[in-house]
Amino acid sequence: MDFDISEPQKILLDSARNFFQKEAKDFARKMEKDEKQFSMGFWQKMAQLGWPGIVFPEEYGGTDGDFVDLLLLLEEMGKALIPGPFISAIVSGLAILHFGSEEQKRKFLPPMIEGKLMVTPALLKPEARTKGGQNVEAVIPKPGLCELIGTRLFVPYAHVANWFIYQTEFGERKTFFLVEAKSPGVSVSLLKTIALDGQGQISLDKVQVPQGNRLGEEGKGDVISARMGEWGALAHSAFILGLLEKVLGFTVEHAKQREQFGRPIGSFQALQHQCADMVTEIDKIRFLAYRAAWKVSQKMPAEKEISMAKARASDASRKVCLLGIKIHGGIGISEEHDLQLYFRKAKAAELAFGDGSFHREIVAREIGL
Amino acid sequence: MNFQFSPEEERFKEEVRHFFLSEKEVVAGARKEWDSGLGFGSNCWKILGKIGARGWLCPTWPKEYGGLGLSYMFRYIIMEQMHYFLNVYSTVGAGMAGPIILKQGSEKQKKQYLPQIARGEVEFVLGYTEPQAGSDLASLQIRAEDKGDFFLINGSKLFNTRAHYSTYHWLGARTDVNVPKHKGISLIIVDLKTPGITINPIYTVGGRRTNEIFYDHVMVPKENLVGEKNSGIYYIFEALDYERISTVAGLERDFQEIVDYVKENRPSVPPRIREEIAELAVEMESAALLALRVAWMLDKGKVPNYEAAMLKMVVSEIEQELIDLAMKILGPYGQIREGSPWAPLDGKFEWLYRDSLENLITRGTSEIMRNIIAQRGLGLPRN
Repeated sequence: MDFDISEPQKILLDSARNFFQKEAKDFARKMEKDEKQFSMGFWQKMAQLGWPGIVFPEEYGGTDGDFVDLLLLLEEMGKALIPGPFISAIVSGLAILHFGSEEQKRKFLPPMIEGKLMVTPALLKPEARTKGGQNVEAVIPKPGLCELIGTRLFVPYAHVANWFIYQTEFGERKTFFLVEAKSPGVSVSLLKTIALDGQGQISLDKVQVPQGNRLGEEGKGDVISARMGEWGALAHSAFILGLLEKVLGFTVEHAKQREQFGRPIGSFQALQHQCADMVTEIDKIRFLAYRAAWKVSQKMPAEKEISMAKARASDASRKVCLLGIKIHGGIGISEEHDLQLYFRKAKAAELAFGDGSFHREIVAREIGL
Repeated sequence: MNFQFSPEEERFKEEVRHFFLSEKEVVAGARKEWDSGLGFGSNCWKILGKIGARGWLCPTWPKEYGGLGLSYMFRYIIMEQMHYFLNVYSTVGAGMAGPIILKQGSEKQKKQYLPQIARGEVEFVLGYTEPQAGSDLASLQIRAEDKGDFFLINGSKLFNTRAHYSTYHWLGARTDVNVPKHKGISLIIVDLKTPGITINPIYTVGGRRTNEIFYDHVMVPKENLVGEKNSGIYYIFEALDYERISTVAGLERDFQEIVDYVKENRPSVPPRIREEIAELAVEMESAALLALRVAWMLDKGKVPNYEAAMLKMVVSEIEQELIDLAMKILGPYGQIREGSPWAPLDGKFEWLYRDSLENLITRGTSEIMRNIIAQRGLGLPRN
C-alpha cells in the first residue's frame, strides 16, 4: 500500500508546473477570446515535452508512461485550467492503439503524438427531444466504402480536427469510422457553450468513407465505446481534481486575507466548516481517481472504480465551486477574477463522458443491482 | 503508487479471517454482547483474550511490552477483521491509553500496564467529559490536589462509557487552578476499585450503557501520573487523534446487507433509490480509501491529525446516509423492533437508527472535526 508518487513522477510534475507557470499564464482566459479557442503553438510545445504521447508505446513515438502518470499530469492541467483537446486527443489515440489495425496505428499515432495530426471523438447524436434540426442518420454500405449521414454534437475541438472517430450504429451494433474532416460533405461549426471550450457540431451529408477506415473488428463497437467512455471519464476526473484544488487554494487564501467585522473572514466558523467540506470532497475524489488510474495502469478491470471517481468528481465539482464563489463574495462573481473561469470549465468537465447520474447507473450495475 | 496489500499482508489477512471463522460461537456471542450496548460480556473477554494471546491486539508494540513489532498495516488488517466480525475493532487500552503510555509513560508504568493491555485482560475507560465540559474539554473541573505522594481527587465525570467493565480510569483532572485552563490539566491512571469512586449507569436512546462517575476524596498514588504534570491536555489531544482512526469494514458489511436485501426482496426498486444506493457505494468506497490513507500515514510514521478528523467525520456521516437509505428501502417495516417476525433483518436498522446517533458526537462532534480540518488542515485562523 503506497500513496506516494515515484521520483520520475515528481520530475514530471515539476516540469509541468514550471511549464504552465511560464507558458500558460492567463492562457484559459486568452483562449476563450480566441476565434478558434485553440493555440497550435501551445499544442506543439506540449508535443515537444512528449505529453500527447505519455501513455503510448515508444514504437509510435510515445514515452511509455502509465495511467497514473497521465492522471498526475492531468491534475496539474486542471490546476492551471489548461484549455485544449488534450483529453480528446488521448482518448482518440488510445482507441486507435487498442482497436486499430497495424496500418491505422502507424498512420495516425506518430503524427498525433508529434502534435501534427488532430483527431477527436464524435460520439453523441442529437436527442429526439432537441429542436436543433433534422436528425437524419444513416450508414449506407456501398462497394468498398460506407456512406455516412448524421450529426454529432459536443465534438471536442471539431473545427481543429483533421480526423473524427465517428460513432454510429450499423444494424444493432455500435460501429466506428475514421472520417477525414476535409472529406466532401463534412461541415463543422463551433457551439457556443458555457465553458467556451471549443466544442463543436459536425454534420455528415453523404460522406464516403473507405472500408479501410472502419475502426475495430466486426462486433467490437460496444467495447470501443465503453473503453473510450472510461478513458475520457477518468481523465476528466483527474482534471476536475486539479481544478478544485486550485479553487480551494483561492478560497483559503481569500478567507485568510479578507477582513470583515474586524477579523479575517476565515476565522468565522461557518466559513471554516464550508472549507472543511470542500477539502473533504476533494480528498474523496483524489483517492477514488488515483485508485482507478492505478488499476488501469496494472491492466486490471476498473469500470466500477472509474465510474465511482467520475460520479464523485462530477457532483463534488458543483458543490466545491459554489462554496468557493460564495466565500469570495462579490469578487467571486466578477468576470475579472479567475474563479468564474474555473466555475464554467468545471461544468463542462462535469458533463464530459457522463455526468454523475450516468456513472451512478454504471456503479449500480457493477454492484449487481 | 500502489493500492494493494503485499502478498505477505494478504496471507496475514487470510490467517486473521480464518481465525475468526474458526471461533464462530465465541465471535457470535461477543458480537451480540457488544451490540446489546451493555459492554464487554464473557464472550467479549474470551475473544479479546484469544486475540491478545496472539499478540494481535497491539501488534505494533515492541515485543517486550506484549506486541509483535509489526508495521501498522498489519494492525489495520486485524482491525478490519475485528470490525467485520465483532463490531469491536480495538479496545481503549490498546488504541488510546496504551499508545500514550508507550510514548509518555515511565518505564514502570509501561511494564505495569502495557502487557495486560496487549493480552486483552483489562480495559480502560476514558475520563474526559464532564457536565460542563464536552467539546470544550479544557474546561474540565474535577480536581486532583497534589498532596505530596498522592493526589486527592474530587469531582465528577459524565458519559464515561466503559467504566462498568473497566479496570482503569484514564482520567483528565485539574492539577493547577492558577493557570489558563488548558495548562492545568494532568493525565492520571486510576484503579477503579479505589475507595470513594461511585459509578452510576446512564442509558442512551440506542440502549447503550454509559456512566456518570463520582470521586469523593479519592486517594491516587503520585506514580499514577502519566508524563508531566499539567501537560495532560496535549496527551489527551494526541489520544483523541488515535481515537478517530477506524476502519469501515463494519459499515461495508451493513451496506452489503441492505444491497443483498434489495436484490432478494425488492429487485424493482424505484430508479431514485437505485441511484441513491449507487451514490452510497461511491461514498463507502471513498471512506474506505480515507481509512487506508490514515493507515498508510501511520505506517510511514507520519502523524495524521486533520486526516483522522476527516475520516471520523466522513464515516459517522456516511453511516447516517446508509441508515437513512435503509429505512427508505424498508418502508414502514423499518420501524419494527427486533423480536417480531415482521422485523426485516432482525430489526438491525431500527436499532442502528437509534444507536448510530452517538457516533456523530463521541470522539469529537462533526462540528469540531470541521474546525480541526479547517484550522489544522487548511491553516485557517482561530478567532
